[in-house]
Amino acid sequence: MSHHDEWVDRLRSAGQVRDTAIDELRRILVRGLMHALGPRGGGEAFAEDVAQETLLRILDSLESFAGRSRFTTWAMTIAVRIGISELRRKRFQDVSLEQITAGESLSVDPAQDVAESSEKLERRAVVLETLKRLVEQNLTQKQRTVVQADLGGMPIEEIARRLGTNRNAVYKMFHDARAKLKAGFAAAGISAEDVQAALS
Amino acid sequence: MSLSPEQIKNLIDLVAAAKDDQLDCDGCLEHIAEFAEAHLAGHSLSAALKSVQVHLESCGCCRDEFEALLAALTTLDKNA
Repeated sequence: MSHHDEWVDRLRSAGQVRDTAIDELRRILVRGLMHALGPRGGGEAFAEDVAQETLLRILDSLESFAGRSRFTTWAMTIAVRIGISELRRKRFQDVSLEQITAGESLSVDPAQDVAESSEKLERRAVVLETLKRLVEQNLTQKQRTVVQADLGGMPIEEIARRLGTNRNAVYKMFHDARAKLKAGFAAAGISAEDVQAALS
Repeated sequence: MSLSPEQIKNLIDLVAAAKDDQLDCDGCLEHIAEFAEAHLAGHSLSAALKSVQVHLESCGCCRDEFEALLAALTTLDKNA
């Protein structure tokens, strides 16, 4: 019997065997969570709460453990996601999308710049003008909002909560926006290297 | 709202680093345990795990969670 099967079997059994397995797993999760999330503000009580929620979720979905990793690694991935999601939620609970975006649409202002050699300044101006045009013409309003909120430091998970959608959908919007801008630069004959060199 | 010079630089970096990501965050979560073990053991990555790497390079939320996961697994290994 593999280590993986042993955990699943113990958690599926009844009585003392199951209770002991749950307690062992809880202690493993709390130890890992305290180390991983302690520096982010997740203390022991927080780790205990997250471990409990993780255990409920795991016990409810043991069949989804595919055995591609150690059982405890799989369990810890679930615990970390639950814990970080909760920390993000708390951190941004009083922040609205409007605050992040200042209630205005995303725009690039090519005028704001620092003194540089005239040649570099010229290249930079072309890149910024192109970026401004691409943001205005190639992105949807929702994509502009997502990009703007991300640049304002809001995690996509929290953006999703405010847009009434899920993290996968916002990630796709953000990913597609980046791809559109990259393709737009390429269509304008400006390579990624040119762009980065002009703004370095 | 005009972006600050630092935000413009961040946007440009995001655009330059845009890759053809085949996964979403849930797809990443499905394989992240296996990926983390391969990463910690220094094993080469299968095609499925390479797609996890691409997603982690593109998604700040998943990268953040992966780094926390590594911290958790490292301490568990030490205490095993």
